[in-house]
Amino acid sequence: MRRKVNFLLRKVGDLNILVPIGQEVLDLNAVITLNETGAYLWELLEEERSAEELAIALSEEFDVDIAQARIDVENFLKELRETGLVED
Amino acid sequence: MCYINNPPKDSAQLKSELSAEQWILLGKEAVDNGMLFLLLTGGEPLLHPGFFQILEGLKPLGILLILFTNGTLITKEVAKRIAQSPPYRIEITLYGATEKTYEAVTRIPGSYAQCLAGIEALLEQRLPLLLKTTITRQNVGELEAMRQLAHSFGVPFIGSWLLTERRDGAPSEVKDCRLSARECVMLEATDQISATEWQEAVLRGEKNSEENFYCLAGKSTFVITPSGEMNICIDLPFPSAKPLEIGFKSAWEEVQKFVDTAPPLSPICQACEDRIFCPRCPAWSYLENGTLTEPVPYLCEIAKERRKIYAP
Ligand code: SF4
Ligand code: SF4
Repeated sequence: MRRKVNFLLRKVGDLNILVPIGQEVLDLNAVITLNETGAYLWELLEEERSAEELAIALSEEFDVDIAQARIDVENFLKELRETGLVED
Repeated sequence: MCYINNPPKDSAQLKSELSAEQWILLGKEAVDNGMLFLLLTGGEPLLHPGFFQILEGLKPLGILLILFTNGTLITKEVAKRIAQSPPYRIEITLYGATEKTYEAVTRIPGSYAQCLAGIEALLEQRLPLLLKTTITRQNVGELEAMRQLAHSFGVPFIGSWLLTERRDGAPSEVKDCRLSARECVMLEATDQISATEWQEAVLRGEKNSEENFYCLAGKSTFVITPSGEMNICIDLPFPSAKPLEIGFKSAWEEVQKFVDTAPPLSPICQACEDRIFCPRCPAWSYLENGTLTEPVPYLCEIAKERRKIYAP
């Protein structure tokens, strides 16, 4: 899977914010923010990646064990799918 | 009131406005300096001949754009094109719920129907819309009808009633248009959310900030005028920094410095027991009495009326 092209990740102060730059319309009050690991995974998803590839990268970059990394990646991808931010 | 007081093709007015390229250049510099939200307002932003060039040039920069418009220039085609680069939010001001009242305020025949058509065109494109009004003597009787109108379109509605003097200092009819302090506060009390907020603020024993600039102006917000000057907020024409000449960053520093070194609250306001109920800010003082600090009698009355209701 990979991320949709029409969102830009902006770092503003301490926040990582996903801003739509295409025809997507957000809810009146919604702003999508990512934590540090989410922002890292989002950058990786610029290219086609499998969940396992993401988990390995996450585990190496943030020094977490692979089982935990797999859970984190699954949760993150679930949220991205629900909000339509990735394409399989 | 922001309406078309100049003819749409007023050449002197157009000449004094930045070009689309200049707006986009400023947008880029602002983004490089961390700007996330950008409000396009006027007058009427759609009157700018490069409106779409600006919208389409700013959108890819990763800005959450908000558009304030009166809606009258939004045809189906215009709405379609806006939907290609949809703003994060669009807000349209209603001046009344009926043609008679709306056009008594705008003084433009046909503007009511155009506004409604604009709302419909935007909703057809599923654009995120909010309707709002500034309550005046002329339209206060239609407040509920305006709320219903927004409801019938399925969009949120907000009303505000704090009418200030004109920003350019020209004589205005504001004193004839705005509600009396008592009327404002009675009207506010009919809004359950506002009433509860005041009651809770009193229970918490809240105190207003000791700072004169207690808002975000000059801390995280600024304004750029149609001719390209950077100011503190839309109601305060200072320090007139020139980002196109000295660069965005230096202009922004000038604005911050102005706010950081602004004079403190007047001793009267500092000692005032009603301050918790008072929305005075430097812009109010400036528009009503030409200072950045002094009390605003209209707001003193409002604060007193609020105290009578919420902390008798
Ligand atoms: S109008 Fe008053 S509160 Fe609002 S930004 Fe200006 S100074 Fe601040
Ligand atoms: S403007 Fe009037 S009510 Fe407001 S703080 Fe100053 S003195 Fe008090």
